[in-house]
Amino acid sequence: MRTVESEIGAILEGSISAITQRSIFRRLGGVATSPMQMLSDAERQTVQSELERSVRLFAPERSAELLASCARAMGAPAAAPLATPPPAASARRLPIESEKDIAGARLDAWSEAVRIGMSKFTAVKVATAVSELARNIVFYAGSGTVELKAVLDSRERRLEIVAADQGPGIDTEKLASIFGGTFRSERGMGKGLVAVQKLADDFQIDTRPGRGTRVSCVFRGGQ
Amino acid sequence: MKLKAEEELPIIRIRSCLLVSIQTELHDQLALALQTSLMERVRTQGVRGVILDVSWVEVIDSYITRILNDIGKSVRFMGADCYMVGIRPAVAMTLVEMGVELDAVSTALNLDAALEKLDLLQ
Repeated sequence: MRTVESEIGAILEGSISAITQRSIFRRLGGVATSPMQMLSDAERQTVQSELERSVRLFAPERSAELLASCARAMGAPAAAPLATPPPAASARRLPIESEKDIAGARLDAWSEAVRIGMSKFTAVKVATAVSELARNIVFYAGSGTVELKAVLDSRERRLEIVAADQGPGIDTEKLASIFGGTFRSERGMGKGLVAVQKLADDFQIDTRPGRGTRVSCVFRGGQ
Repeated sequence: MKLKAEEELPIIRIRSCLLVSIQTELHDQLALALQTSLMERVRTQGVRGVILDVSWVEVIDSYITRILNDIGKSVRFMGADCYMVGIRPAVAMTLVEMGVELDAVSTALNLDAALEKLDLLQ
């Protein structure tokens, strides 16, 4: 069966990595596995706007060509080039419940950073930090949320990230050994928190045994 | 949980080296499966090096770093060298800022450079 995933995947092959493609299709949910010919107009719209966003982000040099091929494959008229809206402030809370959500959160953080005009390097830093935080939630608390807040004011643009969970929390002694660099966990948790602290411009952790953990960090970029 | 055969990463033999191109999200089971089959092939096929191609990997966090480093360590215990190739500039800069150590894995710009360092190119 020619599904959205197989058809669009074949077009993106070689331009967008398999990892990224999987996150794109995961975000489309059930639509990704529906047959290409049976999409409703609304579903086609959903697919097109997701592709617009991801293809521009991950294959900027070839985006026009790729988007046109995708539109043709879906039997839709090629979308008129989108007038890029000026970046606006936004806030989103992403549920983190399983390992799958880590890649999704990472991609969301990345595209949010690019959307508000941060450099490619900053965007990768942001994505890496979110990856660490989401991973800690999945490994140690089971579930939680990652909040992405884009703030644009006259002085700066910044991305505020808050990762919160109701997990076991971390006691003072362990926290000291994590940030003192002496803590070694089997899956490397201590390193993750320290990494986020080093990557972020501001970093704050609020945790208590039995009360969960809340990590807030800020990335600044561009004037 | 056992991995399905199609989930395992393909390992390619090139000269007396093994090449793995990482194009999928690494997780515990997958990493363990990869490590095990690499070990087995290093032992039975007498390879000199293992090359991990990460040119498709857009983000490497500390967990992925640990997985790569563990693979490097076990390859070294078997007497072969482990190289990571194709690391993206933004990823490299991020790893530097994070202060992570990848001490069991050598790096090379690309596959040719790794083969050259392993002395496999004439």
